[in-house]
Amino acid sequence: MRAFVFAMLFLTASAASATGLASCDSGAKESWQSQDKLTAVLKEKGWQVRRIKVDGDCYEVYGMNEKGERVEAYFHPRTFAPVPKGAKGFKG
Amino acid sequence: MRVWDAFVRVAHWALACCVIAAWFARGAPHEWLGYAALAVVLLRISWGCVGPAHARFTRFVPGPSRTAAYAKRVLARREERYLGHNPLGGWMIVALLSAVILLAASGWLATTDRFWGVAWVQDLHAWLADLLVALAALHVAGVAYSSLRHRENLVAAMLTGRKRPPAAGDVFE
Repeated sequence: MRAFVFAMLFLTASAASATGLASCDSGAKESWQSQDKLTAVLKEKGWQVRRIKVDGDCYEVYGMNEKGERVEAYFHPRTFAPVPKGAKGFKG
Repeated sequence: MRVWDAFVRVAHWALACCVIAAWFARGAPHEWLGYAALAVVLLRISWGCVGPAHARFTRFVPGPSRTAAYAKRVLARREERYLGHNPLGGWMIVALLSAVILLAASGWLATTDRFWGVAWVQDLHAWLADLLVALAALHVAGVAYSSLRHRENLVAAMLTGRKRPPAAGDVFE
């Protein structure tokens, strides 16, 4: 029973944290560029932006790229540099 | 005596493994574990319609009045031992199987062009996952309670399929 409680606490804790697909070293949130700006930059490239979330201190974008393909892409919130999948503490 | 057939036992542990593994997996493995869980649930539902007595929904999902009466006896600590699933356990099975179906359906929806990146679909999927974890926790708590209450290891029973033969006052169902 005790092991079960610990397992549940661990599950809950891991759910609350980032997905772990990528993470950025991006400093204070005040220094970030806005999500609207990123949307504008991607639209310029021919993307359709559906949703932007913050994940692992990166911007996580769900959308369609210029070819109309579904994409889930990470960008550094200060530089908007694309974050390679699996990158840890990406500095942009 | 033998209560849980091989299909029920394999389906039970396969579903538990798929759900736990899918919780931690990301990307394609997460999706395939979700579809595997859905497949297990659909097979289990079919088995619940045509399988042997103790595997059948009609045997272990009673109506609201019988379920409420049983719940009252649980609160009064006077509930009888069931050889199969007790009424609350039976309804928990219905809840868990339904949650997995909705979870898999919302997960699939989130991968379609139409609903890709749509907030409410993603949030619904996350909420259903939390709900499933809460139900699973309640399920394990109920199993632990019944095991202590009737002095029978129900986890071992789901592994071996065997349970103590019914005594006077027990319910065979």
